[in-house]
Amino acid sequence: MQMQSKIAFGIKDLLKQTLEEMMEQVDEVVGVIAVTTDGHIVAQAARVALPSKRLAAMGSTLMSLGNTVTKELMMGKCRNVISENEKGVVVFMSITPRIVLISLTDNVASLGTLLSASRRYVTDLNAKFKDMRNPNR
Amino acid sequence: MDELKIVITGCVGSGKTTAIQSISDIPVIETDVEASDEVQELKDKTTVAMDYGEIQLGDDQLVKLYGTPGQRRFSYMWEILAEGALGVIILLNHHRKDPIEDLEMYLANFSRYIDQSSAVIGITHLDEELAFAIDRYHEHMAARNLDYPIFPIDARDKIQVRVMVEALAAMVSLNEGVNANAI
Repeated sequence: MQMQSKIAFGIKDLLKQTLEEMMEQVDEVVGVIAVTTDGHIVAQAARVALPSKRLAAMGSTLMSLGNTVTKELMMGKCRNVISENEKGVVVFMSITPRIVLISLTDNVASLGTLLSASRRYVTDLNAKFKDMRNPNR
Repeated sequence: MDELKIVITGCVGSGKTTAIQSISDIPVIETDVEASDEVQELKDKTTVAMDYGEIQLGDDQLVKLYGTPGQRRFSYMWEILAEGALGVIILLNHHRKDPIEDLEMYLANFSRYIDQSSAVIGITHLDEELAFAIDRYHEHMAARNLDYPIFPIDARDKIQVRVMVEALAAMVSLNEGVNANAI
């Protein structure tokens, strides 16, 4: 089954599967979207209606500004941008140089949970991408 | 020193980022990323947030240049970047399917800022059609009763871009003088 999964799934399917798993496993997350760095949706999962297309575009804007700031300060690549708000938290996190994870919670006290869950699933995705590139390992 | 904020907007591939890079006295702050959609047919990268550059005109005027993303899905940045702008430059790519439609779209989206300030229009990718091609833009603007200068430009040419910026800066100064006298 594991080997069949490695062969059968493309990147989009892998992202979709991972995002749905994240939604199942992390109650505090109300929505997750994987987007390209130029603002297109690759995969998404959510418990509530989200303005996904606009969020995708805005996510790419924020991550590019994050990278612009870190470049200016010679701090390397921007890993994530956090928007902490009156009614929730949004985390924009780089999965790969071309894909960004946007995750949301409506619980203002759940920043830590959202951040650690996002990191966990981003790490998991990168491991799976590596497996896809080297299937005979 | 006087500071003047100018926004450069226009459709994808019209030369906004290139124009600012051509003219800026400082390293340009840019937010270009790899394009993953039909923009790839035009160019490798696309602006997803903004470009920022500066140019000093004379001894006493610093022009701050803000370039907008061209793609419609980033239009929320247009209003953010245009806030406080004293002049708008609309760049049009003459080779697009309907540059007049593009012009109308940008005039409509930036009308609030243009009405309160000034605007110039730059037409890029004109090649050798110059004399005849530029007429259609003049005719269109005349029919709309709009009197903004129209410049054929190569966004890579520092002098051409500078002339356009200087013209807009002069218009802004004139308008400010007129407004001051009116008071």
